[in-house]
Amino acid sequence: MTTLGDYLRERREALREGDRGYSLRQVAQRVGIEPSFLSKVERNESPPPSEDTLRRLSAELSLDTDTVLAMAGKVSSDLQEVIRRRPTLFAALIRELKDLPDHAVLRLVREVRDGEW
Amino acid sequence: MIELRNDSLVFAFPQVHADARLEVELQRTLRIPDDGKNHPLPPGLGRFPLRHVDDHAAHLPAEWIRHGGVMLPMYQAEALWINFRSPAGYPFAVKVATGKINAVTGEGWRDGLNRGPQDYVAVPGQPWLDGYVVEKGLIRQFVAMPLGAGYTAEEQVTGAAEHGGLQIMAFPLRREAWERILAEREKMRKKMEGMAAPAPMMARAPAAGGMAMGLGAGGRMRQSIYTDTTAMEDWDLRVSSRCFVHIANSMVWRSITGTEPPTVPPTSAEYSRAGLPWFDYYAEGRTAVEGSGILAGIKSVFTFGKEKGDVPLPENEPVEAVNVVALHEKHTPASVREGAF
Repeated sequence: MTTLGDYLRERREALREGDRGYSLRQVAQRVGIEPSFLSKVERNESPPPSEDTLRRLSAELSLDTDTVLAMAGKVSSDLQEVIRRRPTLFAALIRELKDLPDHAVLRLVREVRDGEW
Repeated sequence: MIELRNDSLVFAFPQVHADARLEVELQRTLRIPDDGKNHPLPPGLGRFPLRHVDDHAAHLPAEWIRHGGVMLPMYQAEALWINFRSPAGYPFAVKVATGKINAVTGEGWRDGLNRGPQDYVAVPGQPWLDGYVVEKGLIRQFVAMPLGAGYTAEEQVTGAAEHGGLQIMAFPLRREAWERILAEREKMRKKMEGMAAPAPMMARAPAAGGMAMGLGAGGRMRQSIYTDTTAMEDWDLRVSSRCFVHIANSMVWRSITGTEPPTVPPTSAEYSRAGLPWFDYYAEGRTAVEGSGILAGIKSVFTFGKEKGDVPLPENEPVEAVNVVALHEKHTPASVREGAF
């Protein structure tokens, strides 16, 4: 299992090969954090950054935000809010679908209800 | 199974065939004048917004919730046409009724598919339905009126304003019959390889009183309902899906849904003066069904209004459709009528 630090660093370094603007210093600056902090994160030497920082890092490195958050042990706050608002429904739904292979969870279809007429 | 996607009703029958998918759209359009002349087909001005009635149950009559289905907003005297699209060319028999009065035969709603007279349209041969079949090759346009004032086709035929809205029911072709068609197509395709590509065809891209509205008969328009030549036993009568499309007065749409209804459409006169296109549709080698005596006998909205002393149709001035585009049936799916306004 790749760690968060490795995942971010490998991505940044891959981007840097094509564009020198992806140095540690420049990425940190664009994301609004100290380069020393980003360095620690990449080396798994610090606890994961805040959700907000992780979002900005994902955007900067063109990574999927939910994947990065998951690697950091977090769940996007908007998803949490969805579950909190209707916990019984969504908890049941997630548990029901949790073991389905990727290709099996295609999309949810809401049917138009037909009643009596 | 019916899904509501992007303001379209998508009828799918995956248990019959993966290709069995029908998209039905309700298009906004121009109201043609009721002036005794036979008009060409007006353009589509975009889909009516469609909403599940369940999503706004708190603001709707219990009757609507009992029916299930969806709803859309129309202004009094606004017109509508129905677009049928089968992306794979899969055949469907579609019944359309307004206030549970069949729009092709004028008869009350019945189960199943019926012939003598044919009480449904066959898609993909039939791309659109703009109104009530009053004569062979002639329809009277679907025009919205509040329920209860006597204008709707339902009230004219039954004397009661019980249902309102539009009812749509679709039957797919049997799987075996489709597989035969596919095999034929494959043979044709092989034959045609090496022939010059046919010229591209133009598509007719598509168009308060009380809260509950129904549809009545507007102006006369040139449109044929094509006779279905499919063998009756090829229609899969074991499966069908149906939907009740309620019509809410646009003036109260905001209070029901919290969103604005579409803006009032332009008049036919404004549209024609701008030189924008109307359409005529030609399908070679097809016959049209005869008109319904029942439907020919109902009073149009304009006529009924005159008798009552009302003016239900503002701006009923005559219109000259100068720019009429001739469209021909394509061998590939759905033509859509487009209006640029």
